[in-house]
This record gives sequence, C-alpha cells and structure tokens, in this order.
Amino acid sequence: MILDFNTAAIVAIACWATGSLLHLFALRTPALKLPAVVMTLGGSAVMAGFIAIYWSALGRPPLRTLGETRLWYAALIPLVGFLVESRWEIRWLKYYCMALAAFFLGINMLHPDVFDKTLMPALQSPWFIPHVVVYLVGYVLLAASSLTALHNVYLELRSKKNENGASVSHYLALLGFVFLTFGLIFGALWAKEAWGHYWTWDPKETWAFLSWLAYLGYLHAFRYKIENRKLQWYLALAFVVLLVCWFGVNYLPSAQNSVHTYQQS
Amino acid sequence: MVVVRRRWFQAPWDFKESILFAAVALIAGFAIQYAASGSGITLPRLPFNAIALTLFAVMTLGAGLAFRNNPLVKWLGGIPLGLCLIFAIAVLSLVGGIVPQEAAAAGSLSAQFGLNQIFSSWPFALSVLLFLGNLGLSLSWRLIPFKVQNLQFILFHAGFWIALSCAIFGSSDLQRLIVPIEIGKANNFGYTMQSDTPQPLPFSIFLHDFSLEEYPPQLLLYDPHSDKLLMNRAQAIIEVQKGTTATWKGIEVLVLDYIPYATPGTDGVPVAADRSTGVPYAKVRITTAAAPREVWISTGGPKIKPDAADLGNLYLIMVPGTPKSFRSAVTVQDGKGNDTMANLEVNKPVSFMGWKLYQMGYDEKAGRWSKLSLVEVIHDPWLPAVYLGFFMIMAGNILFFWNGIKRSKVAS
Repeated sequence: MILDFNTAAIVAIACWATGSLLHLFALRTPALKLPAVVMTLGGSAVMAGFIAIYWSALGRPPLRTLGETRLWYAALIPLVGFLVESRWEIRWLKYYCMALAAFFLGINMLHPDVFDKTLMPALQSPWFIPHVVVYLVGYVLLAASSLTALHNVYLELRSKKNENGASVSHYLALLGFVFLTFGLIFGALWAKEAWGHYWTWDPKETWAFLSWLAYLGYLHAFRYKIENRKLQWYLALAFVVLLVCWFGVNYLPSAQNSVHTYQQS
Repeated sequence: MVVVRRRWFQAPWDFKESILFAAVALIAGFAIQYAASGSGITLPRLPFNAIALTLFAVMTLGAGLAFRNNPLVKWLGGIPLGLCLIFAIAVLSLVGGIVPQEAAAAGSLSAQFGLNQIFSSWPFALSVLLFLGNLGLSLSWRLIPFKVQNLQFILFHAGFWIALSCAIFGSSDLQRLIVPIEIGKANNFGYTMQSDTPQPLPFSIFLHDFSLEEYPPQLLLYDPHSDKLLMNRAQAIIEVQKGTTATWKGIEVLVLDYIPYATPGTDGVPVAADRSTGVPYAKVRITTAAAPREVWISTGGPKIKPDAADLGNLYLIMVPGTPKSFRSAVTVQDGKGNDTMANLEVNKPVSFMGWKLYQMGYDEKAGRWSKLSLVEVIHDPWLPAVYLGFFMIMAGNILFFWNGIKRSKVAS
C-alpha cells in the first residue's frame, strides 16, 4: 500500500510536539509565535491530508470503523484548542487537545486498521457523512468542554484565579449540544430511509439519547443558576457518558444485535 | 449571616420536592408494572390516541395559562421538576442501554419489572407523560404572550414536545410487516416480527427479479489446525483482480488471471460462463521456499465445489465478496387500479398509497442466487407530525447556535 499511516501519524505528532515547544519558547521570544502556530496547525493539516488520500484510496468515506473515526477526531480536536485560544485567549487548552490527538493516533498505531474498501449497503447513503461528521464535531467540542471543566475544578480546588474558564466550558458544551442534536436527528432521518423507522431504541441510539439528555440537563441546570462549582463537576463527568456511547457500547451486553457496532477487524 | 434551610414543602417548592416527585413516579411505575405482572402498556389506536393527545395538550396549555401565578402550577412547569424528570428518563434509558431489550424468562426479575422492555414499561410511560406535562406548562408561558426573543425556546421545546408525544402516542398505529416474495410470484400477506400469522395487506407485490452485486472476491490464508484466517503483511483485505499481489510470512501470491464468472473446464482450466451459472475463478502464482507454482482457485457456488490451493499445512482460499448492493424489481398494485413499478434497494424505499416499501433482505444462504426477496412494508400515519417536531427542533437549534456564538463573544 502506498499509504503509510504510521509515517503520517508520526509526522503529525512531531508537528504538534515541536509546535507546543515553540509556543512555550514564544512566551519569551515573540518572534517564535508564527512558526509555533504554523507547526501546530501543520499537524492537523497532515492528518487532514492523510484522511483525504485514505478516502480516495478506499473509494468510500473513512468513517466506518472505530479507528477511522479516531483519525477525524485527531485532526479536529486541536482545531478546537486553537479556536478557544483565538476567541477567549485561553492558551493551555490547545496543549491538552494536541496531546489527546496524539493519544488517539497512538491507539491507531498499536491497533492498525485493516484496509478494507467494502461498505455495506445500509451505509451507502447521503446521510452517512453528515451524520457521523456532525457527531464527531460534537464529541470534539464536548471533549474540550469537559477538559476545560476539569481544569476549572482543579483551579477551584487550589483556590487559583480563573477568569474565563467557566464561560469557555459553557459555550463549548452549548455548541457541542447543538451538534449532538443535529447528529441525533440526522440519524433518525437516515434510519427512516435505511431501516424503516426513525427510532428503534438500538443500544447506540439509547446511549446517544442518554448523552443528549445529560447535556440537556446541564443546560437547564445552568439556566437555573446552579452553583458554578457543581456545574463544572457535572461537565467534567458528562463526557464519560459520551465515551460509553462512542466505543463503550460495543462491549455492553445490550449491543450484541446493534446496527451500530463498528466492525471489529 | 444565618442560613435558614427551607423545610420540606415550604413554599416555594424547589429541588427537594421535585426529586421526591420524580422518585415517587418511578416507584409507582415499577409497582404498577409489577402488579400487572410485567405486561407493558397497550395504547389506543386512531382516532382515540389523537383525541387523548389533543385533550392532554389542551389541558396542559389551559392549566398553564389559567393558573400561571399559582405556585403549584409554577413548580409543575419549572426547571427543577423538569431536570428531575429528565434524570428519571435518563435512569430508565440507562437500564435500557445496559439490559438487553429482548424476551426474558417469564417470572424473572427483569421480566416482572419490565426491565427487558423498559421503553414500553409503566415507569417509562409515567415519566414521559409527566415530563410532557412539565414541558407543556413551560411552553404555555412562552407562547402567550408571544415575543420574538422567545422563538428559539418555542421552536426547540414545542418541537421536542410534538416529536416525543406523537412518536409515543402514535406508536400503536405503526404497522411494520415483512413480505417474503419469490421471483415470478406475487404476495399480499406480511408477517410481523412477533407472530407467524400472516396479515393481509391492502396491496400485492409482484417480484420480477432480484439481483445482488458483490464486491470482488477475497484471497485468504486459512490455517485448518487453529481454524483461523491469517492476516497478511499489508493488513489489508485482498480483493482479487488481475495483478493483485499478497504477502504472508514466507508466501507470496500473484493473481495472474481472474474470471468473474466461469465453470470448471475439462482440462482443469475454467471456461468463462454467464452470470447465472458461473462462479469466480482466479489463476494464482504461489511462491514459497519450494519452487513457484500456478493453480486455479475458485469460491465455488451452489453447484460448483470450491477449489483451494494446498500449501502443506495451510490453504489459500478465495471467498465471495460481501454484498455491495441488492435490489428487487417489483410491481405493486392495490385492488382499485393503482399500480406502480419500482426498484427497491437498501436506503431507497418507495412510497405507495401511504405505505413505504423497503428492500430488507434475501435468502442469505443462496447469496446472489437467491430467488427470494424480503420486502418490509411500513405504514406510519404519525410520521409527518414527528418530522414537523424534528424540523422545529433543528430550526430552534440553528437559532441556539447563532445566539450562542453571538453571546460567547460578549462574554470574552
């Protein structure tokens, strides 16, 4: 195969690592700021490029296996870190995001995917890409929200100053919720076309509904002005439900007949 | 400053009372479920469910508007109760997300409390009904008097109310039947998933043809001792085509020739045949430590036995590719002179007189030689209402996104 995932992953991780170091040095030497930004963005660009080439080699969207969704995740999550930095001037989040991206690429290197071009008929639908991509963007935003909330909890426990923290975790959760809602409804509309009904309480649907309820609960608790300390704990933990939904479901007893279990190869 | 703790049921009611209320609802639900010895709920069908839902909506809106300053009504439509009911529904969904939702042994704990069919159980129905009440009350206060700034709230909450209530109240009118049809025959009976009794349909389906297209066949290395397939060096599924190569430890394979449809020839060389009789054949060159050799292998078919290459303790085999697409050419007609010809395919259902027809399956043992097609026919009169709810939620969602982006800027 012409494509070498390991090379692409190592180059991307190297970009993020050098970019991060340059960012730290840039605190003293502002001239390094530009190369730092270029390197960190470069890491995501490498992953985006790999996804594009992989897509064309497979002849189908690389969104079918768990490993393939991790590729997208790794490409997208650093971007959220950069977005948060440019909007709220919070600098630390991007390091966590890049570390998380590297971690996901690491998993893929340890468990290489089987190169498989086939796509079962039910997945051959115009809904396939919007449904999965919208969900991945939602997951990425909510992961960042959860990281920020965890950071806020930590700062709170150490009684440190924390200015924008709570509003960042809140707005990331809000945007993430919007994407989850779209993902859920796109999934329902697709299910009607592919399986005949928009909702069948398939285990993945049940867990997606649960994650959606978790964030619906958060938004109402926020609206009711529940103590901020509790809200940050809530957001930090809510992501666990999403993780179960993303890959935990495959291991649950209820999921043996699910239409959503990713192919294990 | 002395903090005076609010006593139970001291006005205004808040979280404590809401938690109690939701807990009582859950316990009562499970108690009813247990008393009904595990049998779920049977909902009335059209028009009675529509009448019941309309009455419920009118009563909720009426109560919200007539008693909007009553502390009890305010609490019933408030966020604390809403949150507790969301939590109750989440707990029940969690049960449904862990316990397999399938038939359980009668008399088992799971069956008696309805844990194996949680989404049609009494506790679930009760929580959802109370939640719809809570949602409806909060909605009534935003609907009247109407303000443009409430539009996002109204779209999202009303959309959710409509989608949820119509999906649940309308579930009794949903008809899903599986119609097995053989090529050249018609069928006007369908079967539900639960019973073997054929149900008459208001139309018949005639199957002209069923066709299945496969991905190219795959080359695999089989180890009969461990009964395992060995993964090749490139970690790839090897699609058989002329020129394909594959490498395992100590074994190299090159596909010299590939005939998608062929029958066995007299001298060991297969002869190209048509699609209906032929099976895939490939001529491969196998290079091992011993001298390279060339053999024909095949996937076999209903009447042709497969050919594998014997490599001592391993076998190089060729298996048919997975299904890429399958379709049924059908004619649907009712007794009133309406008819239509259509190709049914996965993800491409066809509508006929208020029904939707789906390509569901085929005789999987026969694969692409299947003479049988399974068509699922579905009638769901409540679908437009549920979709209206979905689209309202999405519209509210877009406004929510937009406002969120705008407000987050102010915050920074």
